[in-house]
Amino acid sequence: MSYSLLAPEIILTILGLVIILIGLLTKDESKNMIGYLSAAGLIASLVYVLGNINGMGTFFYNALVIDPLSQIFKLIFLVVSLLVVIASISYFKDNRNQDEYYALILLSTVGMMVVASANDLVTLFVGFELASMSTYVLAGFEKRNPASLEAALKYFIIGSLSSALMLFGMSLVYGITGSTNIPAIIAYFKTNPLFATSSLDIIAMIFLIAGFGFKMALVPFHMWAPDTYEGSPTVVSSLLAAGSKKMGFVAAFRVLVLALVAIRMDVQMAFAILAVITMTYGNIVAISQRSIKRMLAYSSIAQAGYIALAFVVTTQMSIAGGVLLALGHALMKSGAFIAVAVVGYMVLSDNRNAKNTDDLDNFAGLGKRAPITAFSLFVFFLALAGIPPSAGFIGKFVLFYSITIEAVAQASNWLLFIVIIAILNSALSIYYYARVIRYMYVLPPVGEKIKEPAPYVIAILLAVIGTIGVGIYPEPFIRMAMNAASVVLGV
Amino acid sequence: MSLYTYLLISAIIFVIGAYGIITQRSGIKILMCIELMLNSANLNLVAFSSFNGNATGQVFAIFSIAIAAAEAAIGFAILVALFRVRDTINLDNINILRW
Repeated sequence: MSYSLLAPEIILTILGLVIILIGLLTKDESKNMIGYLSAAGLIASLVYVLGNINGMGTFFYNALVIDPLSQIFKLIFLVVSLLVVIASISYFKDNRNQDEYYALILLSTVGMMVVASANDLVTLFVGFELASMSTYVLAGFEKRNPASLEAALKYFIIGSLSSALMLFGMSLVYGITGSTNIPAIIAYFKTNPLFATSSLDIIAMIFLIAGFGFKMALVPFHMWAPDTYEGSPTVVSSLLAAGSKKMGFVAAFRVLVLALVAIRMDVQMAFAILAVITMTYGNIVAISQRSIKRMLAYSSIAQAGYIALAFVVTTQMSIAGGVLLALGHALMKSGAFIAVAVVGYMVLSDNRNAKNTDDLDNFAGLGKRAPITAFSLFVFFLALAGIPPSAGFIGKFVLFYSITIEAVAQASNWLLFIVIIAILNSALSIYYYARVIRYMYVLPPVGEKIKEPAPYVIAILLAVIGTIGVGIYPEPFIRMAMNAASVVLGV
Repeated sequence: MSLYTYLLISAIIFVIGAYGIITQRSGIKILMCIELMLNSANLNLVAFSSFNGNATGQVFAIFSIAIAAAEAAIGFAILVALFRVRDTINLDNINILRW
């Protein structure tokens, strides 16, 4: 058995541990090189995942599996961490705790990747916890800043509550099926349909949906997300919104979808209601926000609602659409948060003691003050609203189209109704994105033009290229997403 | 004792933990309630493992105990850092971020 397919995880784990050692041995002044080292490690892993995009295999007695689903989500996690690490080279420049910061980013990435290829409830739980615990610390990384600590505390309490719910649900699933291996669990439910044998099934299902729902920030479980994204250091918000949120989706794709296929109609409606409430709530509350980070947080809740539509019809195409939207959202949202970080840098270079650096007023005349950032933010906002040609458009198109097909096939009016609500929601979201664009390009600037630091520019431009690239040339990504969906459905 | 006794006890512990998280205002008490919830799941796992006659559940419980310990350490670290800056760990006073 060769472990070479696990090389990305192995590289990142070793690098994370080595970075802690390097941090012990180097002087504070020379710690700036650690960021470049982490970026190099992430690029190596990314190249490796891209090279083995069609890799297949199971490891450690079926505890980990490499398949198209795991590979496309690993791609998402690695790209997001790479963008975040590149931007952090500027954000945490001359910080004397940089070594711990980068080690935690790498370890949280490993956690997310383990979740993506988990084939056993134990691995799933351990991966979830590795990623969550690293990000609790990252959210509170500015330990002199009360807002950052508050964000960390709220994230920690809700995060561990969700872990407890998830573990309780997993224990019930283990009790019902007698196994923690996901294929074995699914095989059990195929021969013994859900709800047929005992009422324990429904309790287990509810606990799992709640546990994953907290990570995905679906609406009844979303309260932590806006506070945490607003208070955390902006680059960390980028990792949370773009990376760690997708962890809930990949876990749901692995565990929930097959169970949903087994029960079909009953839960379909529940997920539809959850998705519709999530997207409507996210979009409506985002309108009234003046803090851009908070606005992006609510828009990311709305996007989670769109992705959750994939669970409603669970056809191959709808799941492929969910995966594509997850990929697009990762690119757009990480880029948008990094652009907000540049605005924060700009405001702080005007006035060292500025508060609320992400306030809407600070975006006035950004097109003149920081042209590259403003243009990129413009692209990300249009992409988030679903304007072609962008990754956001492709994801939404495939997803909504798949639901329409299913609605016609089942001759069901309520599925069609859901698609209409989703499209109206996209239209609604244009309002609050356009407001920021108006501030950036129409209102007069309040300060001098600034020089945008190179790492930020590189990270933002990579995200722009990704966002537009997936929009212009979507075929390989759609093919990858379709392969991933066929794994999800086991066909 | 039958399996249902264990399940009932673990469900009661779980609900006590959940009730505590909702009602308590002190950060430390909330951490204790989270531990209760995690441990009720462990009790479930071990009970099922014993009644199903396979060891996977006990292995899972050992993993989750180790993880719960790490989680508690991180929780206390965040609380200590917060106490240094704000001089309080009462959640009612921790309200900078709101909409």
